[in-house]
Amino acid sequence: MSSSSTVGRTVTLRRTETVRSPPRVRHVDELSEDALARFYDLVTSGGGSAVTDLTGFVDGEIIVFTDYYRVSLE
Amino acid sequence: MTEYVIIGDGISGSSAAETLREEDPDSEITVITDEGEPLYNRILIKEHAKGKLPEAPISIHDEAWYEDRDITLSLDTHVTTVDTDEKVVRIHDGSDVSYDKLLIATGGTPTQLPVPGSDAEGVLHFWTFQDARRIKEYAEEAEQAAIVGAGLLGIDFAAVCGAQGVEGNYLMRGDRWWRYALSSEGAEIMHQGMRDVGVEPVFDSGLDHFETDDDGQVTAAVDPNGERYPCDFAGVAIGLTFNTEFLHDVDLEMDNGIVVDQYMQTNLEDVYAAGDLTRFYDVLLGEHAQNGSWGSAKEQGRIAGTNMAADGETEGFEWVSSYSITHFDFPFLSFGHPTLGDDHAERKYSDTEWRRIAFKDGKIVGGVLIGDLAPQSKFKQLMREGRVVADQKEVLLAETVDLDDLAPAQEQ
Repeated sequence: MSSSSTVGRTVTLRRTETVRSPPRVRHVDELSEDALARFYDLVTSGGGSAVTDLTGFVDGEIIVFTDYYRVSLE
Repeated sequence: MTEYVIIGDGISGSSAAETLREEDPDSEITVITDEGEPLYNRILIKEHAKGKLPEAPISIHDEAWYEDRDITLSLDTHVTTVDTDEKVVRIHDGSDVSYDKLLIATGGTPTQLPVPGSDAEGVLHFWTFQDARRIKEYAEEAEQAAIVGAGLLGIDFAAVCGAQGVEGNYLMRGDRWWRYALSSEGAEIMHQGMRDVGVEPVFDSGLDHFETDDDGQVTAAVDPNGERYPCDFAGVAIGLTFNTEFLHDVDLEMDNGIVVDQYMQTNLEDVYAAGDLTRFYDVLLGEHAQNGSWGSAKEQGRIAGTNMAADGETEGFEWVSSYSITHFDFPFLSFGHPTLGDDHAERKYSDTEWRRIAFKDGKIVGGVLIGDLAPQSKFKQLMREGRVVADQKEVLLAETVDLDDLAPAQEQ
């Protein structure tokens, strides 16, 4: 699990094996260049917090990378 | 009221339609496609073939999306030709569709191998959603497969085999996968990724012919060395043939694709092109180039739509493309034009980390990152800036790239 905090909000990426009718699934190639950089920071930081800009992520979506990651904005 | 016609409902055509509706609310927009379903996510169909993703999230637009935007969508519709003097698109049923401005975004079709047996049952190509469904069906039943085509498309077949538990032999003509962009060191990381999922790369091989049974089903791939590789299906991905046959009577400038400028304009007035089939003027590269990535096609569609609606050269296409392979435990990212240029630098960092940067006239024009994608945004930034950095390869190859370590940019 990887997470990041911004003003009052946290984005969390959780690996998931199952995909059941999520609202949206995207491949990393669909992320903007900045969002890809933020996503990659989150994935590689493990539990650490490296991202301060959540632009480009949608709560509940799944992003396909080397694993599937479910995005939570809480 | 302006009439826009878009041939093709892939991401570039659909992106153009959406842009046109936003920019010209009162216009008539018609999208014509020979496929039987509206826009779907071509990047994700490989995940469906792997058995990891259901169909629903792969569809992007349903027919209501077009109705809601007052866009006429014609599915299963073949364009036979275009008359650019009369400004009409001719349809297979004998009808005509008139246009004021036309966008050609028909993409490509997988190239057939010109060898005996290539039309056998079970010789599969991977391009459409229908292809993915068929590959999934075959892979779920298969024990063995053969793969032909040592490039970015062929490796998806290897991933399907790995995910579906199919033993695969990946027949390559040269001594490594994607030899135009990877050295032996970089390619070996990818080869190991294939082996780890049960696919064996076979070098200095390729394909001579397929063997079939009495029912016409493929049973083996035979390479030019006479080696026989039994298979329940074969995946062929040797490239794309652009869908331009309906334009044979049209005086469009072609050069292995439709030549367009940075505004997506062809040499014919009011005719534009976007997506995989363009040879576009790349303002960062300073020459015409091609790119088959999703993001590039989407942006080309948006640029075409913007300039069509404006009836002018409002916005040019300036884009650094990315193409990722996410099938293995380590990521792979190709950006820009990694096979072009006059100089390069590369380094291996670990068994799963490698980097190559391609330069032209001292400027970065593309590259490949395996394992560690962290420098991608910095390299893309340098590309956009057109900064001469080829004389500072050590900075660019440092494990952690810090652009502040580069010597100050000189006046160009």
